Amino acid sequence: MTKIEAIIQPSKFEAVKDGLQEIGVDGMTVTDVRGHGRQKGHTEVYRGREYTVDLVPKIKIEMVVPDDLVEKAIQAIVGSAKTGKIGDGKIFVSRIDDAVRIRNDERGQGAL
Amino acid sequence: MSAAALPKLRDLYTSESGQIRARFQEDGDGLAAVRARAALVDSIAQQLYATYISAEPDSAGRFCLAALGGFGRKVLFPGSDVDLLFLSADGRAEERFKPGIASLCREMWDMRMRVSPTTRSLAECGRLYRDNLEFNMSLLDCRYLAGDPQLFARLHDEVVPQLVVRERQALVQNLAELTRARHAKYGQTIFHLEPNVKEGPGGLRDYNVACWLAFVAAVEKRSPRPPAGMLARQLREECLRAFSFLCAVRCFLHYRQGRDDNGLSYELQAEAAAASVGDKAGSGMGPAEWMRLYFRQTRSIDRTVTQLLDDVASARSSLYHAFDDWRSRLSNADFRVSHGRILLRQSSAMEDASTALSLFEFVARHGLKISGDAEQRIEKALPLLRERLLALAGLWDRLRAILMLRYAADALRGLHRTGLLTVLLPEFHAIDALVIRDYYHRYTVDEHSFIAIENLHRLREAEEALEKRFAEILAETECPELLFLTLLVHDIGKGLSAENHVAGSLQVLDPIVARLGLEAGAADTVRFLVANHLEMSVALSRRDIFDPETVRALAIKIGTPERLKMLCLLTYTDIKSVNPEALTPWKAEMLWQLYAETINYMNRSLDEERLLPGQLPVNDARGHAEPADKRLYEFLEGFPKRYLLTHSAAEIEVHLRMATALAESPIQLSLQKHSHLYALTVVTLDRPMLFATIAGTLAAWGMNIVKAEAYCNRAAVVLDTFHFTDLFRTFELNPSEVERFRNNLLAVLGGELSLAALMAGRAKPGGMRPAKITIQPRVTFDDHSSSHSTLLELVAQDRPGLLYHVSSKLARQGCNIEVALIDTEGQKAIDVFYLTLGGAKLDAGRQKALLDALLQDI
Repeated sequence: MTKIEAIIQPSKFEAVKDGLQEIGVDGMTVTDVRGHGRQKGHTEVYRGREYTVDLVPKIKIEMVVPDDLVEKAIQAIVGSAKTGKIGDGKIFVSRIDDAVRIRNDERGQGAL
Repeated sequence: MSAAALPKLRDLYTSESGQIRARFQEDGDGLAAVRARAALVDSIAQQLYATYISAEPDSAGRFCLAALGGFGRKVLFPGSDVDLLFLSADGRAEERFKPGIASLCREMWDMRMRVSPTTRSLAECGRLYRDNLEFNMSLLDCRYLAGDPQLFARLHDEVVPQLVVRERQALVQNLAELTRARHAKYGQTIFHLEPNVKEGPGGLRDYNVACWLAFVAAVEKRSPRPPAGMLARQLREECLRAFSFLCAVRCFLHYRQGRDDNGLSYELQAEAAAASVGDKAGSGMGPAEWMRLYFRQTRSIDRTVTQLLDDVASARSSLYHAFDDWRSRLSNADFRVSHGRILLRQSSAMEDASTALSLFEFVARHGLKISGDAEQRIEKALPLLRERLLALAGLWDRLRAILMLRYAADALRGLHRTGLLTVLLPEFHAIDALVIRDYYHRYTVDEHSFIAIENLHRLREAEEALEKRFAEILAETECPELLFLTLLVHDIGKGLSAENHVAGSLQVLDPIVARLGLEAGAADTVRFLVANHLEMSVALSRRDIFDPETVRALAIKIGTPERLKMLCLLTYTDIKSVNPEALTPWKAEMLWQLYAETINYMNRSLDEERLLPGQLPVNDARGHAEPADKRLYEFLEGFPKRYLLTHSAAEIEVHLRMATALAESPIQLSLQKHSHLYALTVVTLDRPMLFATIAGTLAAWGMNIVKAEAYCNRAAVVLDTFHFTDLFRTFELNPSEVERFRNNLLAVLGGELSLAALMAGRAKPGGMRPAKITIQPRVTFDDHSSSHSTLLELVAQDRPGLLYHVSSKLARQGCNIEVALIDTEGQKAIDVFYLTLGGAKLDAGRQKALLDALLQDI
């Protein structure tokens, strides 16, 4: 099992979700987040006051998928979220040792 | 009955229970089911009493069995507790029957009834249990089952009424507090995605509270105890219908879940709708429509119990009375305020449409509740009011007054409750209690609209930093009343069978604005806001708000900063009013950033967004006709596109006439009063110091400029517009001074009169209130936003003559003002100038010199 965390632009969320569902990834956790990578922020002035947009809004999607779906899921995310510009986001992939379904104690891949 | 007969009794209970359930599933009559179940359990309890306590029930001296609570009311739901009272004349009898009581209860438990037995003496029943008020309340519903009838009669006819009379205040206050605490637990609203049929506001518990409060009031008036059935008759008919509906729903839930589970979950809503629970007509409505029916029922119970609870307020603390005395000073010639309720001085007052609207304006102003009597009088007068209200002159002015007041939402709810809102806006009926069943919209559509209005008013009291930013936008909005009206009508389309709800809302908008008598410009604004009320939401969720193209497209679509402000606030309150968690700080910040980027783009892109040949006319939607002649083309060419969006066709025609008249007279002036502001328009050929000279003349006359625009077309014709307040009411008190001002201005602009001399004799700014806040002056230059000009943005403390000083400095530095956007927000002046020097942008040295000069002066 592999955990995939994707940080994407909010405007790409619907497309990414649809893309993941198409390849059979139904379960995911979605969080509104703020952050920046190389995109950094920028400073704006409104009504004489300066405000710095150093943390830009993003959406974090987390999912744990069977190993055979990992590459497809990554491609689905990249395919839907990519604009080619700075700020498109990141995907992090990590191994998962076990999973437990709390309702019935089911463990491993069956609990996904 | 012998012990051997007990299995038969168990079988009887099982089979009868099954039949009651089957009948309910067949006819859906919840009230009949709970009554039948109560009768069945009566019979079982009586037989067990005969078996275990006394074979001759009537003569079981000094001991009896009574039903309490819901069972006492003959409202026994399948999963509810069976509340039993074993009543003894004294402790000795209780001791004697103890084994029998245990056997009786055990037997009922074995039949799978949830028995809740209580053993009390008559004296104990007469006490007030402050820590167990539920017991006292359950006694109000006591009903004889078996045993000594005289003993029960003493409880029913003497002990309970005496307790009520003696402890009325404590009983009622405790009941009110418990109810308020329960309502607080459910967020003070009947609207929940998955409501609790029993405990939630407007639920069955509230119906009981209404009955108890009515009972207590009746006992006080009648002695001894009022007859059974009297209480229900005191409640409104719609309340009784609602009770019957909720009985069916709760029965359905108990049978479906097999226990006392009163949560109407999302899935069970669909099942209840499919089974037409509570819908005796069996009209086969969908889940959303069925939930609409559900909310209408709970709304009616909520209304009744809220009114009764408010009546209880009269018995509160002395502190409350002191506050209430203060509120009673709000009374006027038409209305009297007593105990926080508005009462009518004349019972026929509500037959007058104007007084009826004044009542709701009174609510909107003070946040007080209307007495039940006044509401009933409105309902009675409704047939008369239907015609009289619509014939009332200045209908929009009256509605506007309500919408603009702090408690507008309360007043609108009252108007809706009494049926007056749908007299004013029959279209609103389409969204009455309409449910959007998507597990996101918590409130019905009508309530969502009221909450949105409430949230916009609350914004004025914002304390949190991000909220304050939106509050500032609201403070800057010129016509907030149009925003409030839009919030009221923006979702009416959801109740119509249109392609989408925006199209539906637009369909009904024309008759609404015509009925209210809105001016064309105001109607245009409301139409624009309704048509685009999802634009910013869509941009937030589906566009990259940091992409300049997203911002540019939005700015072009919205057109003017004023509309952007209104649309931003509309989006803010619309999202916030979907459910309490819908507008997360994350989303609110995104919205604010989108707003800030877009308004900055609008203010900084005027040079790039100019009217050029081939681009005219720009906006047909605003009713601008195809330019009929070359003169209009020539006049418009080179103006920023915003000019067309911020001026009506009639205004543009006036400006064109002024420009045409330049051939006869080189300076054209127009001075008009709009609301509390004067608008001075000057059309002339461009020249140095022009803007500063006009600003200076206004300052010399003691006028305070709050807003100004300066545009120049390709032919160097300048159109300067100044909106100002007349601080000393010079024009109002001395109408002849208007002409002298015009002549003065013409003389100064014509070089016949020295501005310096005029300024020397000007009134001192003593009329200005001292500054309540301190604004740190700030001057910024922007060389990137325009390809032709340098943008100067200045924020400073507003004061009379400020614009003159600033524009003079600009002129003395040799700068030409291509465009000026002058705005005032409270005591803060916010000015944007597009400057050129010799036809080019300002170099760094000039910017530095200008910065020093400006900061020295402001």
